[in-house]
Parts: sequence; structure tokens; C-alpha cells
Amino acid sequence: MVRFEEVSLCYDAGPEILSRVSFALDPGSFHFVTGASGAGKSSLLRLLFLGLQPSGGRFSLFGRDVAGLSRSERALVRRRIGVVFQDFRLLAHLTVVENVALPLRVTGQKGQKIHEHVTELLSWVGLADQLNAKPPTLSGGQQQRVAIARAVIARPSLLLADEPTGNVDDRLAVRLLYLLEELNKLGTTVLIATHNESLVARFNHPVLRLKDGSITLERAAYVSSTSTAGTAA
Amino acid sequence: MVYLASLAVAAALLVHQVTERWQTSLSEGLTIQVPPPAAADAGGAYTARVDQLIQILREWPGVAHARHLGPAEVSALLEPWLGEAGVSQDLPVPALIAVELAPGAAPDLPALTSELQGVVPGVLVDDHQRWLGDLLALGQSIKIGALVVVLLIILSAVIAVIFLTRTGLAIHQQVISLLHVIGAHDAYIAQQFQIHAFRLGLAGGLFGLSLAAATILSVGAWLRATENEVLPDLALSLSNWSLLLLLPPATALVAMLTARLTVLRSLSRMP
Repeated sequence: MVRFEEVSLCYDAGPEILSRVSFALDPGSFHFVTGASGAGKSSLLRLLFLGLQPSGGRFSLFGRDVAGLSRSERALVRRRIGVVFQDFRLLAHLTVVENVALPLRVTGQKGQKIHEHVTELLSWVGLADQLNAKPPTLSGGQQQRVAIARAVIARPSLLLADEPTGNVDDRLAVRLLYLLEELNKLGTTVLIATHNESLVARFNHPVLRLKDGSITLERAAYVSSTSTAGTAA
Repeated sequence: MVYLASLAVAAALLVHQVTERWQTSLSEGLTIQVPPPAAADAGGAYTARVDQLIQILREWPGVAHARHLGPAEVSALLEPWLGEAGVSQDLPVPALIAVELAPGAAPDLPALTSELQGVVPGVLVDDHQRWLGDLLALGQSIKIGALVVVLLIILSAVIAVIFLTRTGLAIHQQVISLLHVIGAHDAYIAQQFQIHAFRLGLAGGLFGLSLAAATILSVGAWLRATENEVLPDLALSLSNWSLLLLLPPATALVAMLTARLTVLRSLSRMP
């Protein structure tokens, strides 16, 4: 599903955020990526949804080397990736239904089928009574559930979540993680960036730990036989 | 901008319309100027020579009709310059013979001139080409000037759309960034902007054309009301109005294409 080989990342002429990082994620796996603030968790996720170009190394998504993708192919790859942002990034001028429907609209789908699909998903995440609400009127937990719904509406193969519990209380955070586990059981590969060690400890999944630009893998329940994770930079 | 472009195009079309009319009417005839008689040669002898010239003209190949313009007609021609008092009997004005050529005819003017000057030395055969040429050159200059004005307006419109689109991109950066992340093609994002630009361009174009039409019709009506004798009738033909009607959709297309290219160029900088 995902393979990083000696990937480095730095912004402009600044220090390396990631230094020759290598790891692999198998299809259907569930991983946390942790580290202190500024360790590069969000940057790693941005690399994964093709929001950044690495400054060195190579990585592949869904079996394809990202460096060889055209602009059009990169857009198609992004459609297979769902992203949950820490700040939700919901569009305030659109309703909940319209926000969640966006990934379907950009693929050219129209009309009643979208509405049915979206309302069914929103019911699943417990927002059946907020279909026509606008994001600013929702609580943090509700907004996060809308963001998760938008990220999964197009049935992505890979779900990336950047601090999905950062703006909610602990109880809701646990509920959101259970929701993501349910999605994982349906076959979606999940990677969650978080600095919440208590949550990581509570849910027994492998952890990619970022520190000083390098990555180590802990509790390798899904280690790929070709993974080089665990090697310090 | 469409208002200004419409006025420029209308001016060019009017000039073209008028010069075509002039060229058609003036190239279909000649004007023969018979020098005024010397004092001793006035009266019947002069008239007889003028009649002789008319006779030669009527028999000349390519001439359909020739007639002597009477004093009243000459006065009317000179009225814009000499006023209503017109031509006095004491003013030595040449006799004018209006010649109408047969359609498609190209009479031998040097030979005709020589023949006529054999009867009355100093006769002038004017085929109007000299000053028609000047008029046509003036008309051409006006049309080129109008074209330059229209091109400058198009350039200004393109620059305005580029800046407006970039402002729109900055304002909607959050939306664009999100669309980009969820897998929208650049063309999809550009389409949102180009549709908006097309609608604005069309609406603005129709408004500008309406104002221009009102201006053109008002000026034409005013000129007719003042009974001016110098300027020709400034009424556009139906086909010319049809050309002006193309300006709003053309403007909308320019706005749409400019917006699309601007957005695509900006998006190409995103990973």
C-alpha cells in the first residue's frame, strides 16, 4: 500500500524534517504515527497525500512510484486517499451534506445518488439530525465526525488522520478512534498522527515513532517482510 | 469596456458603410467643369459650347447619361460654403455637367478629356478619384484607429480578468486547497472560475452594449434633428448591428479563457 525508501524532507533551506526514512504499510493495516510537536508527523501525512514533494528518496503509493506520476494521475491517486485534518477544514458556507458530498462531486457524480449515500453515512456517524446545518453551528466533536465522513465517503483505500482527537475531549476521542477502527475493519488502511500517548496505549496498534527526523516502528503487528522500519537514520 | 469597444466598432462600421456608399456613387460618374466664360464670350456662345460638350459626352462609349446642372442646382451644391444667398450672377462659376457612366463601363478618360478640350480649352474631367482616394485613406485610418482601440480594450480586459482571478484564487485559497487534496483535477477547479468569469463577462458585455446602442441611436437622432448637411446619415445597417451583438459573447469568451489559463497556471505551482 505505502512504501517509503530513504525519504528525506526539508522546507526550503531549513533543517531536515525527515531524514532518510524508510517504512511500509500493508493494505488493511492500522498504524499510529507519534512524536513530539514539530517532529514531522503532519509533514509525513502531507507527503502521503501528495501535498509535498520529498527532497530525497522515493516512495510509492498503491504500487506506483509517486515521482513518475503526472498531475492528472496524482489527482486520481488523491481520490483513493481520505484525509482528516486537525482543523477539520470544513467549508463554512456549505451544509453538512454538501461538505461530505464534495469528494463525490469532484469525481463527477451527481444528483440523488449522492444525497442518499451521504445521508446514510451521516446517519452511521450519528449526524442524521444535522444534515442541513452549517459547520460553525456544530460542536467540535460533530465537526470532526463530518470531517471523518467526508474523508471516507468515497471509500478510500488509505485514510490519513492528522490529530483527529486534538480538538475533542477524551471520551469523544475514544469514540472517534473506535469509529476509525470500524472503518479499518471494512478494509481501509488507516494511519493516525497523534501525540496523545494515552490513546496510543489504549488501542493496540503498531506505532511509527518520529524523533529527530528518523522513524522507528514499535509493536510491529503488521510488519512487512521487506520493511526497513526500525532502522535509525 | 464593451461600451467603448462597441463605440469603436460602430465608428469603424459606419465609416466603412459611408465610404462604400461614396465609392459606389462617385465611381459611377464624372463631373465635367467648363471654365466660366470671358466677359466678351458670355451668353449664347458659351451655352452653345456647353451643349456641344454634352452632345459629345452622350455619344461617348461608356456614358449612359449627361446633363448640365442648372444655376439652382449649383447654388444648392455651394450653399454649405456660400450660404443661402447662393451664387450671384456676378460670381464666375464654372458650368458643371454631371455624367452618369454605364454599369461596369471604363471610358477612355484621357481621350475624352482631349476631345472636350478641343471644344473648350481648359475643360476639367473629374472622375473624383483624387479626393475619393483621400476620403478612402481617411476612412481606412479611422478603421485602423478603431481596431487599435478595440485591441487595447481587449488587452485591458485580459489584464483586469487576470488580476480579478488571482484575487479570487487568494480569497478562495482554502476551498481550492481542499479540492486539490480530495483529488479534484486542475481542470475541475479552473472550471468553477471560468464559469463565473463567463457569466460576469456576458452580463457586463450586454450592459455595455445596451449603453452603446443607446448612445449610437441618440447621436444619430440628434444629427438628423439638426438637419446637418455635412455629416452623412449615421444609421447602422442590420448586418452591422448583428456584428455588434457578437461583442458580449466574445467578451465572455475572452474572460472565460483568461480566467481558465490564470487558474491553471496558479494550480501548476501546487504539488
